[in-house]
Amino acid sequence: MKGYHLGELEELILLTVGILDQEAYGVGVLEEIKKQTGRKVNISAIHTVLTRLEDKGFLKSQMGGATEERGGRRKRLFTLSATGRAAIEEVKTLRNKLYNQLPPLALDFSHGL
Amino acid sequence: MDSKLKYFPPKWPDRFLEFYCNPNRLEQIQGDAYELFYINLEEKGLAFARFRFLIHVLSFFRWSNIKRSKSTYHTFSQGAMLKNYFKIGWRNLVKQKGTTFISVFGLACAVGCCMVAYLFIANIWFKGMHQPNKDEIYQLTYTVEEEKGMVTYGAVAAPISELIPETFNQLVNHTRVSRDFSILISKNESYNQRTLFVDPAFMEMFIYRMDYGYPGALLEPDQVILTHELSEKLYGNTHPIGQELSLVVNGEEKLYTVGGVLADLHDMDMFTFDLLVNIDTHPNAIENLPLKDAWNSEVWTFVQVEEGADIANLNTGLAEITSTQNKINPEKPYLKLETVAFTDLVYRVDEIKNGVRDFLGLGPQILLGAIGLFILILAVFNYINISVLMASRRLKEIGVRKVIGSRRSQLVFQFLSENLMVCFIAIFLGCLLAGFIFLPGFNEIASKNLKIELFRDSNVWMFLGGMLLFITLVSGLYPALYVSSFKHINILKGNQKIGSKSVFTSVLLTFQFMLAFISIVAGVAFVQTNYLNENRDWGYDSADKIIVNVPSSEDYLPLKNKLLALASVNEVSGSQDYVGNWIREGELIFQDEKFEISLLNAEANYPEVLDLKLKQGRLFNPELISDMEESIVVNQTFLDELGLTFPVSEKITFDSASFNVVGVVEDFHTIFFQSPIAPIVIRASPDTTFSYLTLKMTTGSAESSMEAVKEIWHETIPRGLFEGKLQTEVFEREFSDVRGVQNIILFAAILAVVLASLGLFGLVSLNMTSDIKDYCVRKVFGANLGDLSKKMGKRYFIIWGIASVLGGAFSLLIISSFLDSFFAFHSGVGAFQISIGLLILLLVIAVTVGSQIWKIMKANPATILKAE
Repeated sequence: MKGYHLGELEELILLTVGILDQEAYGVGVLEEIKKQTGRKVNISAIHTVLTRLEDKGFLKSQMGGATEERGGRRKRLFTLSATGRAAIEEVKTLRNKLYNQLPPLALDFSHGL
Repeated sequence: MDSKLKYFPPKWPDRFLEFYCNPNRLEQIQGDAYELFYINLEEKGLAFARFRFLIHVLSFFRWSNIKRSKSTYHTFSQGAMLKNYFKIGWRNLVKQKGTTFISVFGLACAVGCCMVAYLFIANIWFKGMHQPNKDEIYQLTYTVEEEKGMVTYGAVAAPISELIPETFNQLVNHTRVSRDFSILISKNESYNQRTLFVDPAFMEMFIYRMDYGYPGALLEPDQVILTHELSEKLYGNTHPIGQELSLVVNGEEKLYTVGGVLADLHDMDMFTFDLLVNIDTHPNAIENLPLKDAWNSEVWTFVQVEEGADIANLNTGLAEITSTQNKINPEKPYLKLETVAFTDLVYRVDEIKNGVRDFLGLGPQILLGAIGLFILILAVFNYINISVLMASRRLKEIGVRKVIGSRRSQLVFQFLSENLMVCFIAIFLGCLLAGFIFLPGFNEIASKNLKIELFRDSNVWMFLGGMLLFITLVSGLYPALYVSSFKHINILKGNQKIGSKSVFTSVLLTFQFMLAFISIVAGVAFVQTNYLNENRDWGYDSADKIIVNVPSSEDYLPLKNKLLALASVNEVSGSQDYVGNWIREGELIFQDEKFEISLLNAEANYPEVLDLKLKQGRLFNPELISDMEESIVVNQTFLDELGLTFPVSEKITFDSASFNVVGVVEDFHTIFFQSPIAPIVIRASPDTTFSYLTLKMTTGSAESSMEAVKEIWHETIPRGLFEGKLQTEVFEREFSDVRGVQNIILFAAILAVVLASLGLFGLVSLNMTSDIKDYCVRKVFGANLGDLSKKMGKRYFIIWGIASVLGGAFSLLIISSFLDSFFAFHSGVGAFQISIGLLILLLVIAVTVGSQIWKIMKANPATILKAE
């Protein structure tokens, strides 16, 4: 297996969907990211990434949860699929593995020698 | 929550979103957009929320969200689908070689014909339009008041050109252009050539490709630039630059060297000329003339303005020049000087007298266009008929495709793509046909120099593209729509009948026969007319006579005397014009009525020398002084038109003198048969010098003495152009012209018949194949040759009958008016031509149908019926 290729925003959104559990949809994800990271992401970008992640099989979705603010329209609610969770795990492992190989700054005496 | 719902997102962006958005996604997207709107409304206020809503709608406008006719997954396979269409189409074409050949061959011929017609017509309308500066060039014209009203002239007083830079500052270049037929002498041979005297700036305004030399060659006043054609004629393969030649203009000879040679113009230039000469070397160059004469000499004047210059400014400047001109030349006051855009010249041919373009010749354009259209219609109808029939072979395929879920539009596209392929091949072949066969032939006939300029002429591409689209749609749309409209259930159950006996096919076939019929009649009528005219009695004996020109009056007597001394010359007579050419027109008033007549001034012995046939009275008697002063000989038409009978007691008055009619001659043809015989008056003119000499030779010696005559002529007039010819050859050019037209029409007629018969053959043989079992069963039950032929041929003979009636009526109308426009003397359209047309068509049908019947007769019913 070649592994999962996740972009930075993809990874962020995948994680957010995971956090939101059953309540992940466009605006929900947007608000959550804003709350957690202070980052303002464009709504259409979120939609695009969500669709793409679903195409890749990392997310599952169903329609539901109409509210008055939405003019009675349903949300598309995303949940993490098993592949999605595996992808997060793998990305995290890879990160950690690379991080662990960083030499500790304090022990670097090679300068000047 | 209640308070929030007082406000709604802005309507227009919302509608836009609904308009573009993929319905599968609309709900979630619109929902999110609404939700965000209310969040923003709460946090930042209404205006901001609305603004953000618009921004969101716009940001959702992405490829993946946009509604498309096919869903995203189909787009990926579109390429493969297209490839598949063409693959199936190609296999079909290759499988049906015979019918494909009929379609492609017909269409290719049609494209070839249309291409030639297009080039010919474009050549007339787009002349000069390849000039890169065409939009910045203007010609000057002036308008004067004449008896008949306002007249605009294309040539203005020569000095005006020099005045323009003073009145207009956005000028780039200006040139005078003056056309002259001068005698060119090179290596002791003289030629009559069309010379264009221009300013050197001409070569900067008008861009020509050069074979040799450089465009600035005219800056050296003693250099000339030749056309490719003239250079070939004068120097053949030797290097032309630096060669010497001399020009005789207004009797003055001047020496020049060749400074450049233009590349072949292919008849596409606005000007027709053989060589370019610096105008300052013209003997009448304005510098050498007194002021008044300079303003009286008129030349075409062209100016080139800066790109985007306001031409109105130029016009105000021209008003000043107008007043200058009117001061110098008060007898002929200009009403106004105007500019005409170079590109508009062709549209104003009729308005501008003495302009660059003289006439457009609509007749040949209509003729060629009509031929192209005829052939195109024939070929397209062939194709429609055949493709409907061919589609009937593919009913099962269509049915299965429909069942599997093919949409109608996809089937239409399948058929159209096959059409497109056929048309593409046909256009390619058509171009080859036109380029290598039709066009050289046509150029030969029409003495033109047309060429398909694929690389330099974008109009050709537009024409070809237009043809491709037009033929594909016209020929393909009906079969495609018709065939794809069948219900799959009917097809697969075998209930669907198609094609072969449909009314539509019969109508097309009738129309084709009609066109072929009309072309045959035209061809026959034209050939017959030419035959009649070539054997027509000219009204005099043209044998044993030579005509020579006399350039100037001082040469007249010496030349006449020297020629008389030649042993084979019996008699010599001078005349102002000669029979067989244009004769000047005069006007006479007889009993208060005006008559237009042709007036031939000649020596008293001219009627005798020419062997005009005397009808009544006598010819001139050279001994009688009175004959020189007050006698005329007229032709029969003259008497008929004036309502006179011989002897004429009344005096005929013209040129402020009155004359007695002493004799009447039989009508004779002074000009070609395109014009009727005009009333003609021959006057024994008292003048002693004439422009032409007619020599009556001893019997049978005319042709052999030509060389001797020419030698004497050159001895007497060393610097002149000998234009001698035999009297029998005076109509040679006209004859070759009409023979050319005859060839074109014959070619069209043959092509039309071939195409119609090919189409018929395709139809009959395809029907035959599908009905062969039917015929075999009949044969088994004892049908004989007659029964089978009747069954098979009946339909086609009915069509032949209808086509003959319609075609006969049309050809009576069209062809006779066509002949009228060409000839005053022609065969007309009558029973003879029509019956030949009928016979040829009948023969074609009989042979085509007969070949199929023969096939059945030869076939063994057992093998065919056993086959399944």
